[in-house]
Amino acid sequence: MAAPLPEVQLATAAPPPLPSLVNARQLRAQRLGRALRLWVPAGIIILILAMCFLLPLVTTLPSSTNGNIIYNNEAPFSPGHWLGTNVQGVDIFSQLVYGGQVAFEVAVSVTAIGIVIGGTLGVVAGYFGGWVDAVLSRVLDVLIAFPALVLALVIAEGLGPSEIHTIWALSVFGIPAVGRITRGATLTIRGLPYMTAARLAGTRSWRMIARHILPNIMPIIVTFSLLGIGVVIILEGALDFLGYGIPAPTASWGNMIANGQQILSAQPEYVLIPSIALLITVASLNMLGDALRERWGTQ
Amino acid sequence: MALVQQIQLQTGGSGARDGARRITGSPALRTIGRRLLAAIPVLIGVTFLTFAVMSTLPNTTAQAILGLNATPSAVRALNQSLGLNQPFLERYWHWLVNVLHGNLGTSIEGASVNHELAIHVPTTLGLLLYALVVSVVLAIIVATLAARRPNGIADRISLAVSMLGLSTAPYAFAFLLIIIFAVKLQWFPVLSGPVNSPASFFRNLTLPAASIGFGLFAIYTRLLRADLVEQMQREDYIVTAKAKGVAPWRVLIRHALRNSMFNLITVIGLNLGGLVGAAAIIETIFQVQGIGNDLLTGISNHDEPLVEGIVLVFALVTVLGNLLADLAYAVLDPRIRYGSSTS
Repeated sequence: MAAPLPEVQLATAAPPPLPSLVNARQLRAQRLGRALRLWVPAGIIILILAMCFLLPLVTTLPSSTNGNIIYNNEAPFSPGHWLGTNVQGVDIFSQLVYGGQVAFEVAVSVTAIGIVIGGTLGVVAGYFGGWVDAVLSRVLDVLIAFPALVLALVIAEGLGPSEIHTIWALSVFGIPAVGRITRGATLTIRGLPYMTAARLAGTRSWRMIARHILPNIMPIIVTFSLLGIGVVIILEGALDFLGYGIPAPTASWGNMIANGQQILSAQPEYVLIPSIALLITVASLNMLGDALRERWGTQ
Repeated sequence: MALVQQIQLQTGGSGARDGARRITGSPALRTIGRRLLAAIPVLIGVTFLTFAVMSTLPNTTAQAILGLNATPSAVRALNQSLGLNQPFLERYWHWLVNVLHGNLGTSIEGASVNHELAIHVPTTLGLLLYALVVSVVLAIIVATLAARRPNGIADRISLAVSMLGLSTAPYAFAFLLIIIFAVKLQWFPVLSGPVNSPASFFRNLTLPAASIGFGLFAIYTRLLRADLVEQMQREDYIVTAKAKGVAPWRVLIRHALRNSMFNLITVIGLNLGGLVGAAAIIETIFQVQGIGNDLLTGISNHDEPLVEGIVLVFALVTVLGNLLADLAYAVLDPRIRYGSSTS
C-alpha cells in the first residue's frame, strides 16, 4: 500500500550530528551513577531477602524464640552467636532473620491489599468521574482523615495480636493512600489524546482500563508501593513495639526494640541492632524507589 | 512586581465597592464557609467510624467502675443507668447531641473528657507545633542551600541526611536520641516531666519533638529541593530574572522559593492527620502527658468517650490545618482569588 518514500525525505531523516555539550567521560560517569543508584539498593534488598528467606533453609540457625539462659547476654562475635544473645539467651541474629521474614510478609501483604482494593477504587473513581468519583472520593477522604492507628490498635485489642490481624490493621493505612495516588494518575491520563482515540474506536470501559490506563499508571504504582513497603515495615515495628502487633515470643524487629528498651541505658545494642536492620532495609527500598522514578520519569 | 500589584488592584477592587455586600460577598469568606460545611460529613464519618470500631470491643465500662467483685446484676444495672446497653446507633446519636452541647462525656476513670482534653491537648499541640515549625524552617534553609548548586556538596549532604530521615523509624530514632542526649550527655531527661513553663517546655519536649520532626524534615526537604531545582531549570520567569541581572540567591529566594512553598504547604496540610500516630508512639516512649498517650490508654481500657474525644480533636486539627493551607495559598499567590472562576 505505502508508496516508496521520495528521496528528499530520506535525506532529511538523518540530521547532521549536533555539537556535543557534554564530554564522553561525563556521560559515562552519569550512566555509571544511574546504574549504581539502581543496582546497589536492589542488590542490598536481594541480599536481605535471601538472608531472611533462604538462609534458614540452607543452614540451621539457633532458635529465635527460645534460648538457654546460661548463654545470655553474650557479646557480638561470640562462638555460635555472631551477633550475641539477649537477656534470655536468645540468638540475636536468628531473631533478626525471622523478624525480617515477618516484616516482609506483613509489608508485602499490606501493600498488595492496598493496591488491589485502593487501586481499584482509585482507578474506578478517576476513570468514571461524576457521582462515582464524588462518592468514592468522599469515602477516601474519611479514611484518610480517620486516624488509622486507632483502628489498627482496636483491631489488635479486640481480636488479639497476631500476624494476620496486623496485616488487616495496617491495610487501613495502605488502601486510602493507594486510592488517592491511582485516582490522581488516572485523572491525568484520562484526558490524553490516545484515550479519546481509543474511545472513538469503540473500546469498552473495562478494556480501556485494562489496556490503556493500568499499563500507564503501573510505574507510579510500583514506585509508590516500594515506598509503601518501607513505611509499612516501620509501622509494623511500631505496632509490635506498642504490644499490639506480632505476639511476644515470635521474633520481630519491633519486639526486639521493645525488649531492648528495658535495658536501654545499660546495653543500647539490643535496640540499635534491630534499628539498624530496619534502617538499612527501609533506606534501600526508598533508594530503589527513587532510582526507578528517575528512570521512568514518574513523579 | 509592579504588574502583579496592578493585577491585584484590578481583581481585588471590585469586592470593596459595596460595604454591605463585602462580608457575605467576600469570596475568601464564602470559601471558608464552604470548606467548613464540607468538613462536617468528614467529621461525622470519622467519629462514626471510630464509634463503630470501638463498639466492637467488649464493653467493660461497668465492670471497670464497680471492680472485679461486682455481681452481674449490679453490672447490668450500671450499664442500664449509663445507657451502655442501648443500641449502637442510639448511643452514637446521644454522643453527637452531647458533643454539640459541648459535652464530650465521662471517661471510664470517671473524669470528664472535656477536663482531660483541656489539660492534655495543649501539651500535644505544643509538641506537634514545635516539631512542625522547627522541621519546616530547617527544611527551607537546607533545601535552599542544596538547590543553589544541584549535585554540589551541600546538595549531596542534604540528600543523604533526608534519605536517612525518611528511612528511620521515629521510635528507633527516639531511642538513639535518648542514648546520646539523655543517658550519655544528660542534657535532657529520659522521661518528660510536667510542662508548665517555657523552660520546662523546651527541656521536656525537645527530644520528643526531634523524634517526630526528623522524618518530617526529611520529607519537606526532599520535596522542596526537587521543586526548587525544577523551577530553577524550567521556568521562564527565572530566566527573565537571571537575564535582568538579579543576584542568584535572590532569584532562588524571592522567585523560586515563593512558588515552591505551595507544594510544601499542601503536603504539610495532608500530613497533619498522620501526626496522630507519631504523637501516640513518641508520647508513650517519653511518657509525655499528652493526648497521644491518652489515646493508647483509652484503647487498652476500652474507654469509648475518651477515644472519641481524642479522635475528634485530631480530625478537627486535620480539617482546620488543610483549610489554613488553602488560605495560605491565597496569601502567597496573588493570582488565586477564591470564589472566582479561575480558582
